[in-house]
Amino acid sequence: MSAFKRKRGGQAPQDKKAKKVKFVADGGESPEEVQQEKTNEFTVPPPVSLGKWTNKERVLIFSSRGINFRTRHLMQDLRAIMPHSKADTKMDRKDKLFVVNEVCEMKNCNKCLFFEAKKKQDLYMWIANSPHGPSAKFLVQNVHTLAELKMTGNCLKGSRPLLSFDPKFDKEPHYALLKELFTQTFATPRYHPKSQPFVDHVFTFTIAENRIWFRNYQIMEEDASLVEIGPRFVLNLIKIFQGSFGGPTLYENPGFQSPNMYRRGIRLAAAARVREKQMVKELQKMKRADAKEDVSRDVTADVFLTPADEKPIHIQTEAPEPKVVKKNKHKAFKRQRMARR
Amino acid sequence: MVIDSRTMESAEEEALLGEESEEEHSELSDSELQEAFAKGLLKPGMNVLVDEAKKFVNNAEGMKQCLADFRKDLPWMERLDMTNLPAEDVLSKVEGKVPNVTNGDVNVDDDFQREMFFYRQAQATVLDALPLLKKNGIATKRPDDYFAEMAKSDQHMQKIRKKLISKQMMMEKSEKAKKLREQRKFGKKVQVEVIQKRQKEKKAMMNAVKKYQKGMTDKLDFLEGDKKAGKDSSQGPKKVSNKKGPNAKRKYKDQKFGFGGKKSGKKWNTKESFNDVSSFRAKVAHAKGGKGGKKGKGGKQNKRPGKSVRKKMKSRS
Repeated sequence: MSAFKRKRGGQAPQDKKAKKVKFVADGGESPEEVQQEKTNEFTVPPPVSLGKWTNKERVLIFSSRGINFRTRHLMQDLRAIMPHSKADTKMDRKDKLFVVNEVCEMKNCNKCLFFEAKKKQDLYMWIANSPHGPSAKFLVQNVHTLAELKMTGNCLKGSRPLLSFDPKFDKEPHYALLKELFTQTFATPRYHPKSQPFVDHVFTFTIAENRIWFRNYQIMEEDASLVEIGPRFVLNLIKIFQGSFGGPTLYENPGFQSPNMYRRGIRLAAAARVREKQMVKELQKMKRADAKEDVSRDVTADVFLTPADEKPIHIQTEAPEPKVVKKNKHKAFKRQRMARR
Repeated sequence: MVIDSRTMESAEEEALLGEESEEEHSELSDSELQEAFAKGLLKPGMNVLVDEAKKFVNNAEGMKQCLADFRKDLPWMERLDMTNLPAEDVLSKVEGKVPNVTNGDVNVDDDFQREMFFYRQAQATVLDALPLLKKNGIATKRPDDYFAEMAKSDQHMQKIRKKLISKQMMMEKSEKAKKLREQRKFGKKVQVEVIQKRQKEKKAMMNAVKKYQKGMTDKLDFLEGDKKAGKDSSQGPKKVSNKKGPNAKRKYKDQKFGFGGKKSGKKWNTKESFNDVSSFRAKVAHAKGGKGGKKGKGGKQNKRPGKSVRKKMKSRS
């Protein structure tokens, strides 16, 4: 409703195609408040779109139960920046997915962005073309919302975005399909009643490392200086289905690893490291135990044994005779002796 | 020997041999296995079950068909989509850095590079799209008197502004603090120099006065000395003193008491130190009669007279 409260220097809505009381205005989205004036002989101002709104694209944005605050804010932000979106209550996870199609039909929407949260940790996003068209499931990561203080840009609520795609989107058939899906979903239709006539922000979809990165920038100056508005997230493609929320699988991402597998991988790695440490410890213990060799028997003890005859054992019963100590004769000194000789 | 999991194992071998942890016993009943062995499908020895590699669906034809069915051929004005590579990075070209990081090379772990890549892609789109929009009459600039609801409320934008301002203030504060610290150090140096200079002057003055008092000189030059000194010495000696004076002493002191480097154990009587003759001053070593030369020149200006002479002088005055 805010879009109708345009106060631009007192410019009244044009009365060219002023209609009198009409229930079914063209476009099907005539302002409700205007209809209340039908009792006075007022010329009811025509719907803002002036009958030019032809691209009837409506996106239903809602989620399952069990989402956390970040996802909720992300959804609110998407609803704020996409004026052609509609909200719905949370869906019970007990219902099968194709129930979503019925919900879309009830709300008269032909595209759907459905957020599914599992284990209060992982966020999956379904983007689907409601009655028959293709649908895709993504794992959403690195969510940053509009409310983050680092995102300093701002844009009109409901202004039309420019969409910027990576050239890689044209190279593979699955990316081309996704490109078409994104274009139809995120592009605000021209002359949408809730849209603003200025184009002041740009969405970028880039492919890097097998993932799709989404950014939203505000166009500050005509020379293309940009400031980020947000939100921002990263999409990891899981599967593309031919039908809406079901049907045969058209494409499966070989590089996708489910978050459970990823967490399991981390746990296994940690466990393996611990086991390795234990094994190393045990090995060391064993080595230390083995290193102690048996030294009770010396192998080299017999090296120097020389066999000899055994002598008869002779036990002395008498004490030996004392040795005769020869006293030193008074010999002449050597020199004298030599001289004498 | 490796066989596909579809074929069956030999039953002749004991169950211990060759059976991996596949629990498909419903398919591999004993009788079937025996039959298979009899037919010759299985050979004796170790048989290992192997899983088929998982095939990922990539139905290119189906996708193209689907795309053809589902695409809406809307005019560009409805879609406003563009496909382009990032704009040229002028800054990095100027610096001579990475010339053109193509799409495949963008390193997702380098945050700055990645975000700059996305930014430049958006820039390229904007640069291409603006002229087209202008041609078709869609405005991109919001006039100043156009007030409408924005995606972020004014309150929120104020919060953002406050945060930016506070960040800036913090940076400024830290810079100021750094500058102050530097200044203080410099100021201290200057202060010390000035004090030393004053002390020197005072000392010289006192000496001159004393000499005059004792009758050694009868000139009253020292009174005018400041003026002359001020005029002449402002340029010449100052330059010299700044270069050599404090620096050599300071250097030595720094080296001795400052931080970093080995202080003790510098004097060793090793071969190298013995052979090192760098501290040999030929002039000093070969100076013969240096004292005589001094006496001849300066005389009593530099040298202090002996005790007896001083006594005489004292008793005289």
